[in-house]
Amino acid sequence: MISLILLIVFAILLFINLPIALAIIFATLIAMLYSIDTLPALTTIAQRLTVGIDSFALLAIPYFILSGYLMGQGGIAKRLVDFAKVLVGRLPAGLAYVNVISCALFGSISGSSVAATSAVGGFMIPAMEKEGYKRSFSAAVTVTAATTGMLIPPSNILIIYSLASGGVSVAALFVAGYIPGILVALLLMVACALYVRKHNVQPISKDAIGAFWPSFIGAIPSLFLIFIIIGGIIGGMFTPTEAGVVAVLYSLILSVIIYRELKISDIYPILIKSVVTTAIVMLLIGASSAMSWLMTYESIPQDISRLLLTLSDNPLIVLLIINLILLVVGTFMDLTPAVLIFTPILLPVVETLGISPLHFGIMMILNLSIGLCTPPVGSVLFIGCSIAKVNLVDVIRPIIPLYIAMVIALILVTVFAPLSEALPRYFGLI
Amino acid sequence: MNVLNKLIQSLDSFLPRLLAVLMGLLVVDVAWQVMTRFVLPKPSSFTEELARFLLIWISLLGAAYAYRLHSHLGLDLFVKKLSPKNAMMVFRINCVLVAIFAVVVLIVGGSHLVSLTWLLGQQSPVLNISMAYIYSVVPISGAIFLIYSISFLINVNNINAESEQ
Repeated sequence: MISLILLIVFAILLFINLPIALAIIFATLIAMLYSIDTLPALTTIAQRLTVGIDSFALLAIPYFILSGYLMGQGGIAKRLVDFAKVLVGRLPAGLAYVNVISCALFGSISGSSVAATSAVGGFMIPAMEKEGYKRSFSAAVTVTAATTGMLIPPSNILIIYSLASGGVSVAALFVAGYIPGILVALLLMVACALYVRKHNVQPISKDAIGAFWPSFIGAIPSLFLIFIIIGGIIGGMFTPTEAGVVAVLYSLILSVIIYRELKISDIYPILIKSVVTTAIVMLLIGASSAMSWLMTYESIPQDISRLLLTLSDNPLIVLLIINLILLVVGTFMDLTPAVLIFTPILLPVVETLGISPLHFGIMMILNLSIGLCTPPVGSVLFIGCSIAKVNLVDVIRPIIPLYIAMVIALILVTVFAPLSEALPRYFGLI
Repeated sequence: MNVLNKLIQSLDSFLPRLLAVLMGLLVVDVAWQVMTRFVLPKPSSFTEELARFLLIWISLLGAAYAYRLHSHLGLDLFVKKLSPKNAMMVFRINCVLVAIFAVVVLIVGGSHLVSLTWLLGQQSPVLNISMAYIYSVVPISGAIFLIYSISFLINVNNINAESEQ
């Protein structure tokens, strides 16, 4: 009964475009009033909004958001693109590969896909157009490749999952994301190769690629950031949060002093943008923390678990059902709210089947990243389209093969747990 | 009406500045923590607690400011299909719901939370400040949410003109 009220109120409020965080809070409040007095219910929600975000681990999120904006505007993205160009630019589908690799490299120093899409897309989409690629295809490549940043550490969504799952180690999740993230990038490159073969795009001109050494040396300071952040976390030098603040300071020094592409006066708007992005995520986290309090209080996850397990107790079939549900959810819900809402519901189900929370988390985030590139709601897709100045409708055709590549990656990651678990086990993180 | 506009104007100029300062402090604070850990024999202990409290303030005040910028994540899929007149009505309902959220959850629930923590004398372990001060951001954020939602409700037409630019 409580879950029904929760669901109906939530659906109605989403329908009228109320901020999702508020829809969660209202649904929780109304469901709570069913069994708790008014004032205690209100106080509990107000308390969850603060206590739910009172965590040192969550602090990594504002830092990675801030450093992502600094890197995007401070010339770091450009250096990574130049570096990727000298690496793979000369191959037949050269520039498409450059796009994918730049996005993955940017993802490996910043925490968000949106930052990668705008930073890399801004350079790559015009460059690809010059070489005869259609804008719609370039946008499709940028958008799908940018989602690798969700899996490749550092990644804000992995930090959020760590919280929602009740304490899977952020360091283990970060390391677990590498192989699946690189797998997605490789499969996307295969799809690009097939596209180029079919569409007969001219190979890239020699002058468009810089000389190897200058590009490589220019990118070293940016690439060194990967070493500092991930090396620091795996080596136990600092926590992910401290790594985040190091990333902020490093990208600040790099873009203001070394690359000199950012003025001191540019910093104020970047701070404001970071605060707004942070606050949106944090309000969602606080709201979801109120909702999961209620769900635990009413033992809703157990009910859903029982329901799902009556369908089948074969882990693969249950994972298949969950994947299908999440793919649908992902098409109309952003990654952060989807992870916050569905982790506490679905994780207990898969854990009873012996699936590790690490494997499940990587699978869920890969799944929901596909939704970021699909209409009707896909934040990364929308940003990609607006940067490429193309209509959403035109992107649909070229993006379909790229979806297929992502779904193949999803199937592999779902079926083969070692893809996510081998690396963290090797480093002794699980 | 005029008073409200003045209030909005001063909020619009004050709030982002305050938030930028808090965000800057958040960076300096944990940067200091990292530095002291590598340089000094005894790492500072207050920085972690201060950072967590700063995050709570930034998040709740920032959430109100994000509402002012219409930046919160929502599902505009169905609303986009409505006629302008119906969309306006749905926007008004939204504003009223935000105002209810501000008053009921943030102001009433938040104030009760603050007074409870005050009465219990709950203090933070390291900095020894009353947690009531930390939680006071909840009703403050509620007041800002309320002011913005009322101004949106009154100026619906201006907002539409603004967002079309």
